[in-house]
Amino acid sequence: MLNYFDLNVHAYPETDASVEELLSVAKRYGYAGIAITNHDEVVQEQKESNAVFYGVEIKANSVSDLKRKINLHWGKVSLLAVHGGNDKINRAAVENPKVDILAHPCGERGEGGLNHVLVRYAAENGVAIDVNMNAIIHSRRGERARTLGKMREILKLVRKYNAPTILTSHAHSIYDLRAPREMIALAALFGMSKEEATGALCDIPRGVLEKRWKKERDVEII
Amino acid sequence: MNMEYILSLMLHLPPSLRDRRRYLRFEVFCEREIDKSELLKEIWDSLYALYGDVGASESKVWLIEYHKSEDTNNGLGILRCAHDKVDEVRASLACIHSVNYAQVGIRVIKISGTIKGATRLRR
Repeated sequence: MLNYFDLNVHAYPETDASVEELLSVAKRYGYAGIAITNHDEVVQEQKESNAVFYGVEIKANSVSDLKRKINLHWGKVSLLAVHGGNDKINRAAVENPKVDILAHPCGERGEGGLNHVLVRYAAENGVAIDVNMNAIIHSRRGERARTLGKMREILKLVRKYNAPTILTSHAHSIYDLRAPREMIALAALFGMSKEEATGALCDIPRGVLEKRWKKERDVEII
Repeated sequence: MNMEYILSLMLHLPPSLRDRRRYLRFEVFCEREIDKSELLKEIWDSLYALYGDVGASESKVWLIEYHKSEDTNNGLGILRCAHDKVDEVRASLACIHSVNYAQVGIRVIKISGTIKGATRLRR
């Protein structure tokens, strides 16, 4: 039995979906656990269990703002994600070993991107690159074609530099969650093989929660 | 309509020449009750949007049945497709996010080579 994880779910108070509701649907879909990563401007109570992890997705408008917020939240949550999209923010996030996940590096609607330098930094610092399935599900035509193109580019780079990659739903309601097999089928749309996609849903999210890449690559966090 | 045409519709292909099919039993999580025609339209739209006319024709999708479950708004259905296009059809089902402005999420529960197998519940 494989343990599937979805490491980017937005719950109440940011959205209307409660944690219990999301967890029950996720369990029914076959997930072992989910991580609630609300944006940092929302305050929430945290009831950690072995199926629900709490993280924060930091939204920053400048590099210095991002650094300040990372230092503020670091050590207090089990997952530290950065709301990516802007090139400068992406760069600052992958350069910082305190960050666990760079969420949607090509933006929620495919506006930014990653290059070889950023992906190499991500691999060195153990920052997981997150591929947002919600962008494929909620867009159509040209917009979706552009998003899939960006994801193909990212996939090529993470294969080359062996950076950790995870697949997440970015669910804002219980209807946005997708079962693991559906996620694998969606990942096949941009050329991800079944084995890679399974790894990106089981093994790599587990490693991110255990901070495996930080230990493996001897990343020093000061 | 002449008799010959009606007969030609009734003729069956020999088993070795028939299309190989897969039956997907799926579950729909939805905000409000949706009916079969609304869902079918959305399935075709999603399939066209993702694979175009050629891909949609190759996948040979056919909605066998769809009904609402008794206690909730959620629905259960069986969809037929070509045996080598299961992953493509699964992806296009996953891409459906709303039916007639009601949010939905679709999950494939079981895949089988026969309708009987898809109807039979596990355990």
